[in-house]
Amino acid sequence: MGKYSSSASWSDITPLPLDEGGPNPLAAIAYTDEYCEAMSYLRAIMAATEHSERVLDLTEDIIDMNAAHYTVWLYRAATLFTLESDLKAELEWVNDMAQTHQKNYQIWNHRNMVVDRLGSAEGEASFVEVMLGLDAKNYHVWSYRQWLVKRFGLWEEGEMEFVERMLERDVRNNSAWNHRWFIVNGREAEGVKGITDQKVRDREVDFAEKALERAPQNPSPWNYLRGIMRAAGLPLGTLKETVVKYADLSKPDAVRSSHALDLLADVLAEEESSKEEAVLALDLLAEKYDPVRKNYWEYRKGLLGEVAAA
Amino acid sequence: MAPTKDDDSLAGDLNEEARIEELSDEDGIPFPGRHLTKSYLPIPPWLVPSSLDLFPEDHQTATSEAYTKVQAECLPHLLGEDTQDLPLNKYRIPHLRRAQHAAFLHASLGDLPSAYIALDAARPWVFYWGFSGLTVLGESVMQYRSRLINTVRPMQNPLGGFGGGHGQTSHCAASYACVLALAMVDALEHVNRRTIWHWLGKLKQANGGFRMAENAEEDVRGAYCAFIMITVLNLPLELPPSSPARRAGLQRFDDKLGDYISTLQTWEGGIGASPPCSEAHGAYAFLALGTLAMIDAPHIIIPKYLDLPALLRWMALQQTSPEGGFAGRTNKLVDACYSQWIGGTWSLLQAALGPNAPEVQGKDLWNKAALVRYLLTCSQQPGKKGGMRDKPSTRPDGYHTTYALAGMSAAMNQYTYDAEGPVRDERGRLMAGFNWKAEGVEKKVLAGMGVEESGRVGYVHPVYVMPFDVVEGFREKFPSCGFEVEGAKSE
Repeated sequence: MGKYSSSASWSDITPLPLDEGGPNPLAAIAYTDEYCEAMSYLRAIMAATEHSERVLDLTEDIIDMNAAHYTVWLYRAATLFTLESDLKAELEWVNDMAQTHQKNYQIWNHRNMVVDRLGSAEGEASFVEVMLGLDAKNYHVWSYRQWLVKRFGLWEEGEMEFVERMLERDVRNNSAWNHRWFIVNGREAEGVKGITDQKVRDREVDFAEKALERAPQNPSPWNYLRGIMRAAGLPLGTLKETVVKYADLSKPDAVRSSHALDLLADVLAEEESSKEEAVLALDLLAEKYDPVRKNYWEYRKGLLGEVAAA
Repeated sequence: MAPTKDDDSLAGDLNEEARIEELSDEDGIPFPGRHLTKSYLPIPPWLVPSSLDLFPEDHQTATSEAYTKVQAECLPHLLGEDTQDLPLNKYRIPHLRRAQHAAFLHASLGDLPSAYIALDAARPWVFYWGFSGLTVLGESVMQYRSRLINTVRPMQNPLGGFGGGHGQTSHCAASYACVLALAMVDALEHVNRRTIWHWLGKLKQANGGFRMAENAEEDVRGAYCAFIMITVLNLPLELPPSSPARRAGLQRFDDKLGDYISTLQTWEGGIGASPPCSEAHGAYAFLALGTLAMIDAPHIIIPKYLDLPALLRWMALQQTSPEGGFAGRTNKLVDACYSQWIGGTWSLLQAALGPNAPEVQGKDLWNKAALVRYLLTCSQQPGKKGGMRDKPSTRPDGYHTTYALAGMSAAMNQYTYDAEGPVRDERGRLMAGFNWKAEGVEKKVLAGMGVEESGRVGYVHPVYVMPFDVVEGFREKFPSCGFEVEGAKSE
């Protein structure tokens, strides 16, 4: 007798056994008896669209055995909302689950639905920071953090300080750079200017330049600077002074960053008079500083037109 | 085995066996795997000592430490200093272990131990990975036809779509994988096209995107999966009357989709999963470009919605040096699965530059040889087991095996878009995904990658990630929208 079939509180349910379509299914999993039984009760419950307290126990049981089971998560959420359950208690349970199943899509979608319904982000930011302590680049966690900020308007509730803490810990954490971009620029549609505002732009350029001093070959701040210029509609030549600190064609043996050389090539390509120098920068990349991307650098040379062919 | 005629330029007249003897004697290193330090191919430029560690930095962080560690685990394999006892070809590069990888994939379709309960909601993926990987290796999967049809029958739900198993909620990923697996054994007649169309209508969102399931997360995976199903099954482009997106004024599955994809391109130039600002990620780049390439010709639609130069740059930067494979995000580590997500996307990107772009005539923008070297030296599991893995310190699985092989196919073959092909048929069906042509790279190019003729892998369609003949099969399977669409026209 299984846990459910021997339980008086489930005696009214006729379980729906697993249908594998025939005797010889493909990629047949050797399900444990516990999992098989719990799933057969879930199928019966779902077929009857029952949303009750015992559904919460059953779904918890199945999630313990298979946390990647999206059906169970979605049905659990529907049950919680139908019953108007205590969502704070739900979050505490999800906190434990999240730490043991970090790479799981479902947990974060569930959390998202629960917190949205709860209408309060209390404690969420600090929980997210704990999770990022375990895996600083977890895609789902960062996406969830964005949603929190937008949903609850947390733009100025310590979010910039949080990003700076993350970048202080690892200046190469590109997820943190991405969050910074979002915090700075995420409210353009609401009329709050980001890097299109001169003051904000100066601050962000300064921040990226300082990060480069620590690690010149870190692509994130280079991309950040390019992103700023593109979004602000400014020529890349605006960055020339910074770029030549790390890549100067008069000192071709002392290049400190391939990304600087790449940007220098683009800066030089902006002016007809310096296109020949852009070719030199791209040659340095192709031959010496970044040979794995030789084809790409050659392509970029091709874009310079006649000069490159000369 | 004497070198064959095709590789005279590189291998010269040396007899392979004699050469091995000679090296063993010279080096006198007694333990296996360490004696083949020389290669017929020169060490490629990105692996020569002067290219390694070009920009040493004092400031170390978790990211740079992880990077140094992976470089250290890959370099001995890349340089042939540690061959892991993989059998080598005449270029001193490991053979593709075709038989072992095929056995690994066949085994993944057989009985699985209880640890696979974790995959219970993702079982259709196992079918798709197995079939797709086997076909790249040149194996037929038709022997699985009736078992597949039976196994997926209880996964199809009465209200449309497939779940991950019997009684599971319909989900885009499960439906995508079931439909493609059925296509690969010519069994698409087992899909209920009418109900899947109704179900997909419920996933379309007012912003143009798609959810993965009702009430589930919305991201660009949903859009790609939906358009795969729409074009494979030739479903009507009109949204069903019950679609909630109709209330937002949308009438077709592709309404606002291009604009939605535009919003996914980030400050970095790459593409994220979902609005407002997910981090740029290689898998989502493939999904976004693949979606667009089903709707219109790549050179028309990709530059229309995306900043192509910024995207090209981001994609190029993901190829890691010295490993030669791809990382999925900026400052992340090489992983063989991105051989497909980024490596496989180059065909779409190069097509996006247009049929007459002089810069790409007969050239590639990326380094195919570097990817092949990574996959053959670092990604293959040594020993009896077979299968391919993310990187040497990880274990092989179906996901990595399939996408490593698909990426290898992108490197060993050329996929080009026929700009003369129709993007719509007379009934309005989206045809752009059917205009692709495949051709193996020239012998000389293959030899330059350190691969013998026998190491070639099959064609993988750059949009559908399946064999070309399967794509041809479903193009013809449902020549018309085979069911009448009652009341689908907007009022």
